[in-house]
Amino acid sequence: MSRLTLILGLMSAALFALSALAGSAPMPIADTLAALVWQGDDAGRVIVWEIRLPRAAAAFAVGAALGLAGAGLQGLLQNPLAEPGVLGVSAFSALFAVIAIFFGLTAFSALVLPLAAILGAAAATAILAVAALRGAGSVTLLLIGIGLSSLAGALMSLAMNLAPNPYSLSDLVNWMMGSVANRSWADILLAAPALLVGAALVLVAGPGLRALSLGEETAASLGADPRRTRLLVIGGTSLLAGASVATAGTIGFVGIVAPHIVRPFVKHDPQSLLVPSALLAGMILLVADIGVRMLPLQQELKLGVAAALVGGPVFIWIAARLGRASP
Amino acid sequence: MISVSGLVVHLAGQAVVNDLSFSLAPGEFVALAGPNGAGKSTALKAVAGIAPIGSGSVRIGDRDAAGMNRSTRARALAWLPQFRPVAWNLCAEDIVALGRFIESPAPYIRLGAADRAAVDSALVKSDAAHLAGRAIHTLSGGEQARVHVARLLASPAQNLLLDEPCASLDISHQLSLMQTLSNEAASGRAVMVVLHDLELAARYCSRVIVLDGGRKVADGPPESSLSDDVLRRVFAVQRGPSGGLVRAG
Repeated sequence: MSRLTLILGLMSAALFALSALAGSAPMPIADTLAALVWQGDDAGRVIVWEIRLPRAAAAFAVGAALGLAGAGLQGLLQNPLAEPGVLGVSAFSALFAVIAIFFGLTAFSALVLPLAAILGAAAATAILAVAALRGAGSVTLLLIGIGLSSLAGALMSLAMNLAPNPYSLSDLVNWMMGSVANRSWADILLAAPALLVGAALVLVAGPGLRALSLGEETAASLGADPRRTRLLVIGGTSLLAGASVATAGTIGFVGIVAPHIVRPFVKHDPQSLLVPSALLAGMILLVADIGVRMLPLQQELKLGVAAALVGGPVFIWIAARLGRASP
Repeated sequence: MISVSGLVVHLAGQAVVNDLSFSLAPGEFVALAGPNGAGKSTALKAVAGIAPIGSGSVRIGDRDAAGMNRSTRARALAWLPQFRPVAWNLCAEDIVALGRFIESPAPYIRLGAADRAAVDSALVKSDAAHLAGRAIHTLSGGEQARVHVARLLASPAQNLLLDEPCASLDISHQLSLMQTLSNEAASGRAVMVVLHDLELAARYCSRVIVLDGGRKVADGPPESSLSDDVLRRVFAVQRGPSGGLVRAG
């Protein structure tokens, strides 16, 4: 484990404890600390253990998943602007989830929603991978991503029009804007297997991603297997993006910002980038969620909206700098 | 040891390498020469297992290359492409460390002592030791080329195939690279280079194979394979009054 990973890990743990102190219900710090170690009154323990900590865990897990997915996709597509949100992977994931919700499929099992979300993510990633395989450059891939995003948006509207199920539109909008409010441990446990398997697949692909830096042919001549690397990253990021959409709706840009910040600290190595990006992205989303909880607004600001408000300008800044580096 | 027999490689329906046979033994330093479009790079790629073989066979050691898996091939043979883009601004030593990928797929700082020693010595051999910690995109074209050559030298493979390793090197580094490759051959490796500089080939290589239109037209020591007839017919040059090559005509 590198020193950077260790530092980020410790910071994550500290932030996680800190997040137990933040919430809309006024609660003295002493009571919160007591509840954390399972002391104090019942109400305090419920607030900390059943409301604040699961919400913090969901924010961190979703952020880490998006950061890892972003770093993995960037390594595979060799583009620092790749990320599930930008490439339409999250939008397709949300589309499949919406179809499952609106056509009443989610009534069969709690697993239907995450499975639909993962399937949607896999469909979009597969389209991108086929394009990348046929030699599509970075710009083409981003354009395909934009196309996938708008297509998913249009199909979502269509699904809402055709749906026989009178699911509350405001619930849906809430979910699509991205939020981890009111998430329970059960929600996290449901997403955990997909998150863990997805993370493992992307991490296993790490050395192959570094070899791919020299191009597919050279990577193959080094003894790497570019096809296996591609399948691992596609499978892994589909699971990560799908499970995070199922948990928190669509949240964009975290997967771009975190790897961009980490890259100079790991000498631009696509493998060493993975774990620190996940940790940093988890922290970013956790901080954003604490901010959202503390903001004195009438109605809570949605986490996805907050992420886009900060991440959108950063995305534009990175893109503009790239344009200058390689005209 | 590499032996190629009856090799045919098609690109877009055309045979760009046609009925090519040659062998490359340990200790040999062989140049592959020919005019633009003669099929040199494609032949090298086919031997390296990168370009699909139409017909004929490539044997590496005592085994048919077609039946070899990636890792066995990577342990036996290393290939330097003509074009060497690097997607990320990697550190030079991490690029050279990729030469050890089949032994240890780790960045330089996490390599074991033996792999690290191989990287260090390769960097010294290609006069790139002072560039080890630099980011690749901050290096000049010639410096980048030396880092990529070091990646090849660091490899555990005994057969090295280099496609225009001297391109973009200054004259002094061209000479020192040819000397280094000659030393590698002397130490038991089999080395093949695609070269455009026929005088460099004649001076350092034990053998020169000349391709023209995908076919082999000469194979032997430089003085016989680069005969006046071949120079005029294939390269459209002749020896001038001062001994240098001038356009024939």
